[in-house]
Amino acid sequence: MKTRKLLDKLVAYLDGDARKRKKEKDEIKAVLKKLKRREKKLKNLLDETKDADKRTALQKEIDIVHAQRKKGVRLLKA
Amino acid sequence: MLRRILLPVIFLILAYGFWISPDFKVIAAGVAIFLFGMLALEEGFKAFTGGLLERLLRKTTDKLWKSLVFGVVSTTLMQSSSLVSVITISFLSAGLLGLAAGIGIIFGANLGTTTGAWLVAGFGLKVNIAAYAMPMLVFGVILVFQKSKALNGIGYILAGMGFLFLGIAYMKDGFDAFKETLDLSQFALPGLLGLLVYTLVGIAATVIMQSSHATLVITITALAAGQVTYENALALAIGSNVGTTITAILGALSANIEGKRLAGAHLIFNVITGTIAIVLIKPFAASVDVISAAIGIAADDYTLKLAVFHTLFNLTGIVVMLPLIGRLVALLEGSLKAKAKHISEPRYLTESAEAFPDTAVEAVRNETLHIYENSRDIIASGLYLHPADLTSEAALNERIAASVHGSPTDIQAAYETRVKPLYNAVIEFISRTATGWEQQQMADLHWLRNANRHLVEAIKGTKHLQKNLSIYVRGDNAHIRDEYNRLRLQIASVLLLLEQLRNGEDADVAILALDGIRARLERGDEAYTDRLYAMIREHRITPQMGTSLMNDTGYAHDIQRDLMGMAETLFAGPERELAPAQRKLQLDEDEMADALGERAASNDPGPPPGKADGA
Repeated sequence: MKTRKLLDKLVAYLDGDARKRKKEKDEIKAVLKKLKRREKKLKNLLDETKDADKRTALQKEIDIVHAQRKKGVRLLKA
Repeated sequence: MLRRILLPVIFLILAYGFWISPDFKVIAAGVAIFLFGMLALEEGFKAFTGGLLERLLRKTTDKLWKSLVFGVVSTTLMQSSSLVSVITISFLSAGLLGLAAGIGIIFGANLGTTTGAWLVAGFGLKVNIAAYAMPMLVFGVILVFQKSKALNGIGYILAGMGFLFLGIAYMKDGFDAFKETLDLSQFALPGLLGLLVYTLVGIAATVIMQSSHATLVITITALAAGQVTYENALALAIGSNVGTTITAILGALSANIEGKRLAGAHLIFNVITGTIAIVLIKPFAASVDVISAAIGIAADDYTLKLAVFHTLFNLTGIVVMLPLIGRLVALLEGSLKAKAKHISEPRYLTESAEAFPDTAVEAVRNETLHIYENSRDIIASGLYLHPADLTSEAALNERIAASVHGSPTDIQAAYETRVKPLYNAVIEFISRTATGWEQQQMADLHWLRNANRHLVEAIKGTKHLQKNLSIYVRGDNAHIRDEYNRLRLQIASVLLLLEQLRNGEDADVAILALDGIRARLERGDEAYTDRLYAMIREHRITPQMGTSLMNDTGYAHDIQRDLMGMAETLFAGPERELAPAQRKLQLDEDEMADALGERAASNDPGPPPGKADGA
C-alpha cells in the first residue's frame, strides 16, 4: 500500500498537468483566505457605520466578496 | 586612444610569450579555458534566472543578515561574484531591491567568493582535476544541445565546471613545467615594496581578466609550483579583491543611479578591506598561522594558508563595514545624487534592467506606474481638479462644489509631453527585450501593455469630455452644470478609490476589490435617464445640451472603465502571482446580479449610459 501511494505521488509529480492544477488550487486557497479577512473587515466597518447610503454601499460590497468566496469554493470542489 | 592600442599590445605580448615559451602558452591557454568555463557557468545560471533566482532574491533580502547570507550562498554555488553583483545591480535598477539590501548581498558575495580559493587549494591541486573535467565536458555539451531550458542550463553549468577544472589543470601543468625554464620567483619582492607592487599586479590582472577568481587560481597554482612567494601571493590576493570591483563598475555604467551607488559601495568596501589587509598584513599573516595550525593545515601548505588569509581579510572587512552600512548608504546617496529627471523621461527602463526577464517586467511595471501618475494628473486637470483633491472624499466634494475658474488644460499637449514619450519608451523596451521568455513573463507584459493602452484611452476620453465640460461647468445654467459636476465627481471618485486601493490594505486582492467598483460603474446612475428627459421636457436644459450630456456620459463611463482595466493589472498588489487566481474568482455580469439580488427583482435593466448622435 505504501509503495502504491509513493508511486501515485511520483506519477502525480511527473504529470505536469496535475502539478499545474494543484498549484492553481493552492493559489485559489490563498486568495480565499485573503477574501475571508476582507469580508470580516468590511462587516466590522458596517457595524460602525451609521450613514444609510454608506451602509448600503458597504452591504453591497460584502455581498460581492461573499459571492467571490462562494465562486472560489465552487472552483476548488470542481 | 589607450583603449585602441591596448588590445593589439596585449596580443603582441601574448604572441611573443607563446613564441619564446611553450609553457607560457599552456598557462595562458589554461587561463583562457578557465575564463571560458566561467562564461559557460554564467550562461547556465542565467537559464535559471527566469524565476527561481528572482523569487529567492525577493524573499531573502528583507533583512540585512539574510541579504548577507544570500550573497555568501549564491556566490559559493555559482562561483562568480561578478554574476551575483550584476544580478544585484540589475534588481536594484528595476526597483526590486533597496540599496542597503544590495550592499548586504555584495558584502556576502565577497565572502562567498573566497570559497573558490578553498576549492582550488584544497581539492583542485590535490587530485587529478582534469580527470573530473572530461566527463563533465562530455555530459555538459550533450545537455547543451537539448531543447529543454532547464537541461540546457544544467549542460552549460556542467560544461562550465568542466572547463574550469580543465583550465586549472592546464595552469598547474604549465607552471610546473615553466619553473624548469624560467624561475619567476627570482622576481619576488620582499617587504612593503613587494606588498604594494604585487597588489597592483593583482589589480591589473583582475581588471584585464575581469575575474578575481581567475587571478586567485593563477596565484594559487603559481604558489603551488613555487613560482611566487607566499608573501607576494598574499598581496596578489588583496589586489584581486580590489580589482574585481571593475566588473561591478562596468555593470553599473548602464544602470540607473541606484546601480551606480551599489557599485560605489562595492568599490569602497573592497578598497577599505584591501587597505586594512595591507596595513595589518603582519598580524593577518600571524593569525593565518594560528588558525591554520588550529584546523590542521600543515605549516608549509601555503596554498591552503592563502585560502585562510583570503577568507580572513574578507571576513574582517565585513565585520568592520557591517555596522557602517547606514552611513555608507547616506554617504552614497549624498554624493551620487539622482539627476532630476524630466517628467517625460523614463525612470526605470535602463539597459541593466533588460538583463533578466523578471527585472525587465518589473521595470515596465514601475514605468507604467509612472505613466499612470502622469495620466492621473492630466485627467484630474481636464476635470478642473488638482491631484491634491484626490486625497479624500471631503476634499473632492469641496472642490467639485466650488466654482470653476481658469482656462482649460491643453490635454493633447499634456499627453504629448508627459505620456506619449514614456508610452513609446515602454513599447520600444518591450519589443527589444521580450524574446524567448517564459509564458508567465510574456503574460505579465501582455497585461502591462494593456494597462498602458487603457491609460491612453482614458486620456483621450477626457479630451473629448473636456470640450463640453469646460463650457457647461463655467456656464450660467445650473442644471446642466450640476450634471457635468456629477460626471466630474464620478470619474474623480474612481481615481480616489484607485489611489486608496493602491496604497491600502486591500492591495493584495486588488483585482477582486475592483469588482465592487465595477458593479457600481456598470449600474451607473439609475435615475440619470429619467432626470435627463425631465430636464429637457421642462426646458431646464436645451435638447442640444441633453445630447451633449448623453455623449459625455458615455465618455465618462469609458474613462472609468479604462481606469479600472488599467488598475486590474497595475495594482495587482505585492502578491502578483495570485493575479490569475483572482481573475478566476471575478464575478461575471450574471453572478454579480445574483450577488446583489437583482436578477429576480429587476425587469428593466435601463439603458446603459451611451453616446447619442449629434452634439
